Amino acid sequence: MAEIGRLAISLALLCAVFSIGLSVIGARRRRGDLVRSGEHAAYATFGLVALATVLLLRALLAQDYSLEYVAAYSSSTLPTNYKIAALWGGQKGSLLFWAFVLTLFTTVVEVQNRARNRELMPWVTATLMIVTAFFLGLVTFITDPFERLPVPATEGADLNPLLQNYWMMIHPPSLYTGYVSASVPFAFAMAALITGRLGDQWIRTTRRWALFSWFFLTLGNLFGAMWAYEVLGWGGYWAWDPVENAAFMPWLVSTAYLHSVMIQEKKDMLRVWNMVLVLLTFTLTIFGTFLTRSGVISSVHSFTQSGLGPYFIGFLLVILLGVGALVAYRLPELRTAGTIESFLSREAAFLFNNLILVGIAFAVFWGTVFPVVSEWVRGVKITVGPPFFNRVNAPLGIALLFLMGVGPVIAWRRATAKNLWKAFAGPVGVALATGVLFLATGMPFGAAWLTFVLGVFATGTVVQEFWRGMRARQALLHESAPRALSRVVGKNRRRYGGYIIHLGIVAIFFGIAGSSAFRLEKQQTLNTGEQMSIGRYVLRYDGVQSKEDGHLSQLAAVVTVLVDGKPIDVLHPEKRFYKKPKQPTTEVANRSTLREDLYLVLGSYDDATKLVTLLAYVNPLVVWIWIGGLVMALGTAVAVWPSGREREVRVLAPGAVGASAE
Amino acid sequence: MLNHRRFLVGAALIAAAVSYLVWAGVRSTSTYYFEMDEFVERRANHEGEDLRVKGWVRHGTVQWDARTNALAFELARQDGSDGVPVAFGGILPDMFAEGREVVVEGHWGGGRIAARQIMTSCPSKYEAEPGADTTAPAPAPPGA
Repeated sequence: MAEIGRLAISLALLCAVFSIGLSVIGARRRRGDLVRSGEHAAYATFGLVALATVLLLRALLAQDYSLEYVAAYSSSTLPTNYKIAALWGGQKGSLLFWAFVLTLFTTVVEVQNRARNRELMPWVTATLMIVTAFFLGLVTFITDPFERLPVPATEGADLNPLLQNYWMMIHPPSLYTGYVSASVPFAFAMAALITGRLGDQWIRTTRRWALFSWFFLTLGNLFGAMWAYEVLGWGGYWAWDPVENAAFMPWLVSTAYLHSVMIQEKKDMLRVWNMVLVLLTFTLTIFGTFLTRSGVISSVHSFTQSGLGPYFIGFLLVILLGVGALVAYRLPELRTAGTIESFLSREAAFLFNNLILVGIAFAVFWGTVFPVVSEWVRGVKITVGPPFFNRVNAPLGIALLFLMGVGPVIAWRRATAKNLWKAFAGPVGVALATGVLFLATGMPFGAAWLTFVLGVFATGTVVQEFWRGMRARQALLHESAPRALSRVVGKNRRRYGGYIIHLGIVAIFFGIAGSSAFRLEKQQTLNTGEQMSIGRYVLRYDGVQSKEDGHLSQLAAVVTVLVDGKPIDVLHPEKRFYKKPKQPTTEVANRSTLREDLYLVLGSYDDATKLVTLLAYVNPLVVWIWIGGLVMALGTAVAVWPSGREREVRVLAPGAVGASAE
Repeated sequence: MLNHRRFLVGAALIAAAVSYLVWAGVRSTSTYYFEMDEFVERRANHEGEDLRVKGWVRHGTVQWDARTNALAFELARQDGSDGVPVAFGGILPDMFAEGREVVVEGHWGGGRIAARQIMTSCPSKYEAEPGADTTAPAPAPPGA
């Protein structure tokens, strides 16, 4: 079976190369038949990669320990869902998985555009197949998932216990979906550059793909934060680890693109900038894959050194140089006449939002690669830790929050004093009143306070927009309030969906500010019956409970939570000990409310003395980060939901609806 | 054209602000990161500094006091040579065990590292490292 899998990968690589050749020749000689053949070769590539993926899954499920990959990431006691997750648990499998998702999306793109964008399509196909060929080349020549062991193992080494968690089923596929779908706008941008059709066509075609990619990057980042928070047991959700940064950077640039694209559609400006952002998003997804899969920078995810580095760096350089040359070649045509007339305008607000987002991405990139660069330049590794990222990004984040309140309501072109008053008097008033109230209730004046005040301001402008849109319809058509509201949203889905996403972002800002500024932390060693206090809680340690099965043994501390002397809850922070490899993992107990999380970790338990060490955290407002994520998902759904005119178009896949101008 | 220039000035200001933040951030938060052999070679020059060192937990050196959560061990090369004493007061990371590769962040002085943080890698695979005895019990034995 392994031989068939390997053959399928090799043939898929061959098909991808054929597809590139046929598409390019077909496009240059204007031979539609060759272009079609190129598309068919892309379908064949997908079929073969899918076959290989199914075969690897089958080997994982059938516990075929003659394969090195299966022996390294699975075991007979591993639950079935993690045997499936082992597909993306290791380097070889995840590279194959990348190729699988990419060829799947390529197929969707080909089907969507059978009758559209015929001039762009051969170049789109070729670009997507070049990326596919890169990943297939890796699994064919460098790191073969179907590699056989010289002597079949009798048992697998098991998936890392830290990965044996339901998030393993959710987080990597989400992030991969976001990463891989960023290739689609990139491919269309390349096609636009090559053909010289630099208008809005490629942007309109890929708008939903860009949003689709952004949405899954958002989810991937949030799920990663949740996973870290629930599982790693250090009381936080984000550590500026290289692997976290790898997922965060494409999200930042992708967010910038979603905004600047509106300026191009409305004002026909920033064409070059948009090209650059699409290219950057794509290269950052490749770079992110490289960071997670190469171990070039040690992190909690430090995957084993694998020698993939040079190939990834080479591929990235080729892309950057190639696209750079193309952009330079098309520069005269990409230049547009539009200029920004005033700093007090929506164009300027959008532009500054873009510069700050890219600035944050730059700072994160710099902090992430700093050890490598310093070693290269000065011969010694110098690291910058979380303090660096927090210090640099806090002011930039706060500036972004301010712009989020300004951007949606400031006038295009040039804001007049009258417009400013009409747009901002209400939200600014409410924000200032809230600020004074916070100070009066004892909140210190600082970054957190500023975040809350600006968050209220941004929320105010959004609420005001909804309100005014609704009232305008009511005045005109005499509809009921709910009906007017749903109609006004329905008619401008993209705009109001965006506003809802903004509300989600504000909630996330609140959660980050609250949990960063007002977090409590305490560690104490207790005897049975003893108690410790943290914030308004008293924690009483009442003993331990233990359970055991073939795969792991569990030990939980029983901790009664008291407030004002009354027990309100019983928590069970846990340690689990996996049998193989011998390895403890922490199971956090978390009592989450809208106000704060009480987060308990069983630090250690000594069998001889019955002493337990508890680590307790009070993390204010954390739950708002997850609520914000939900709200963002809702807003995205509103934004992409096809409006009446589009519903006639058959929906093939998320982001597969035909483009419309608004 | 005037507008164009004005806007470029604005963009340049933002770029300058970001650059300054990055520069100041690097200056005030950077620490040296040494592999064990680099550390052995250069430690004399970094007395009294905060740094990060990557090495292996030397077999037979881990001492852990359940009452005070005080942990002491030696950080060494993979073959166990050139051990440097490390003191840490806090919860052990799950992946901490003798023979494992760890990164210790803390203050180097008086011939020992006072660790503030111990980072263990979260490798996606488990290979018994050469010379590592994976059956060595973790300092906090299972509540068997």
